[in-house]
Amino acid sequence: MDRRTFLVSSAGVALVALNPVTGVLAADEPADFHIAGVLAFSGAYGIIGKDMRQGVELAIADRGGKVLGKPIRVSWEDDETKPQPAVQKATRLLAGGAQMMFGAVGSASTLALQGLADQRKIPLLVTISADDKITRPNGSRYTFRTSNTLGMEIRMCVEFAKVKGLKKIYGVTADYQATRDGWELFVAEAKKVGIEIVGNDYAPLGNRDYSVIVDKMAKSDADGIAVMVTGNDAVTFLKQSGQVGLNKTKVQFGPVLQDETLAAAVGPAAVGVYSGVRYHFTVDNPANKKFVEAYRTKYNEWPSSFAGEAYDGISWWLDVVESTKSWDRETWVDAFAKSTRENSLEGKKVMRACDHQAAQVGLWGVVVEGQSPLPPLTMKITDVFDASKLFDAC
Amino acid sequence: MSTIVIGLSLSFLLFLLAAGLTLIFGMLGVINFAHGALYMLGAYVCYQIVHWTGSFWIGLAFAPIVVAALGAAMEVTTLRPVYSRDHIYQLLLTFGFILVIEESVRLIWGLDYKQVPTPALFSQPIAMLGSQIPSYRLFIIGFGALVSALLFLLLDRSRLGMVIRAASSDSEMAQTLGINVSRVRTAVFALGSGLAALGGVVAAPLVPIELGMGFSVIIDCFVVVIIGGLGNIKGAILAALLLGMARAAGFTYAPEWVELITFVLLIVTLMTRPSGLFSRKGRSA
Repeated sequence: MDRRTFLVSSAGVALVALNPVTGVLAADEPADFHIAGVLAFSGAYGIIGKDMRQGVELAIADRGGKVLGKPIRVSWEDDETKPQPAVQKATRLLAGGAQMMFGAVGSASTLALQGLADQRKIPLLVTISADDKITRPNGSRYTFRTSNTLGMEIRMCVEFAKVKGLKKIYGVTADYQATRDGWELFVAEAKKVGIEIVGNDYAPLGNRDYSVIVDKMAKSDADGIAVMVTGNDAVTFLKQSGQVGLNKTKVQFGPVLQDETLAAAVGPAAVGVYSGVRYHFTVDNPANKKFVEAYRTKYNEWPSSFAGEAYDGISWWLDVVESTKSWDRETWVDAFAKSTRENSLEGKKVMRACDHQAAQVGLWGVVVEGQSPLPPLTMKITDVFDASKLFDAC
Repeated sequence: MSTIVIGLSLSFLLFLLAAGLTLIFGMLGVINFAHGALYMLGAYVCYQIVHWTGSFWIGLAFAPIVVAALGAAMEVTTLRPVYSRDHIYQLLLTFGFILVIEESVRLIWGLDYKQVPTPALFSQPIAMLGSQIPSYRLFIIGFGALVSALLFLLLDRSRLGMVIRAASSDSEMAQTLGINVSRVRTAVFALGSGLAALGGVVAAPLVPIELGMGFSVIIDCFVVVIIGGLGNIKGAILAALLLGMARAAGFTYAPEWVELITFVLLIVTLMTRPSGLFSRKGRSA
């Protein structure tokens, strides 16, 4: 082969490889269905990533490890709860042939992955991040969320305050944009139903001392405390409010304030705290009972909301992919956008074509002392709010 | 007035967190990035002891000793060979400690949160100055004051403190005078590690015990150490008081500005007195 022939041949091969049409054709016959799983596996959110991974792996095992006749392969990466590593690691997995992305945990990472999904035309399935901006009308074509939004959880808070007869609320809000937006929505909705806001403090994310804020709350005439923080901040707040007995004089509640994991970290001061619940193992339907039994058999623990939502979301997605009988990603996206999950773990979920957000019921519960074999502190579901009260019409 | 009580509790908690860091830097010249990891380890060891014995006080007594012993082992096996090298080796080494400690904690205790309850003796609030003050906060104030006084007496008024300071300021001369400098350095690193663990134990009933807890305190520790003057225990006490009271006032009147207040204090210190607001003037012969 002379130099000229070599250069022409090389250019031809490069053009074929770079051409999007031939690229799709080359992907028509993949050896497996490759999922890029980008979650937090280290740091404070590491436990969430671990639970989500367990949920996904059980969902894959439940269907014999295959979709469209090919084995399912998940490559897991730790995004360290930061957007930049999330994008870097997802990009690497996409270069390795991943056909979809699953994740992330933190909303900032998820929003970063969303940009990548749109750019590369790769579907992104979200089952935990709650920032309302992730699913919005005329937003990302390739992003779908099967779990709760912060907005619906805020509306649950207002519904609860109304049902509970709370008249005056003092709030504490984590000082970042999503929770600030959430607090503003809460104030607007609360005022509509005649609830007075007597105070609110924005605390830095990762705050380790709420004693002054708790003192202000205790001195106020509020009958309810709206706690718009979650994770470590929620544990820290409730531990410190418990030390002055705030839980005995005022009703504490929040959109994602407690679950079994967080209640175990708070201890006895968690009893009586109300919270939105994204998924719960006590939901009484055949699909959930089957899932809980399988999960407990495999992992010897109760499924957390993270595990349940991950299992539910990926099962739904894989069923839709299977139903398309196609390896074309655009076909999957179109099919998922108008799908309905009748047998979800939480009942019926409907994917809204306008914003790719699953409309669903909202679970609300309170921390109680659990009887064996339940965890020592467990959530008792007290209310199930209908989707029509939680979502704006498209 | 309740703001003052809460501010004092914040101050002494900050001091307990930062004391070990400033001690190790002041006496050994080592910036111990692993301080936060040792703080976390102290909290986890305390959790384990409480889990086994049901007593917070046994945890308070023994967790710092366990971590101090580990600190001594770390110093002997890894730090000792690099004292004579450039500071960057010590920084890298202590950064490596963080990774090793965090992975070890993950393997031993897993990823889920751990909880240390407030000791029963201090579980009830006390009505004071128109507020319900958690009695555990009063314990922190008393205990923090006691530890700071003991540290001051140890380093500034005792024979052992004199030996430590001698070994720190001129190790070769101290060696010539018969002081076993290597042993002194090991003891100082162990003491600093134990103090980090003590901070973790005292904080355990207030915060969730989890893998990231060390990372979140290390910035506060450095702020206290920089404002107080690197290696200056008295400076650290005063800086912790300044910072704690500023934070308590900030949370009372302008919670959104608390972080800004903290870092403005830091920047002003660095611009006006880079060696720390409470640094001592150097003496010349």
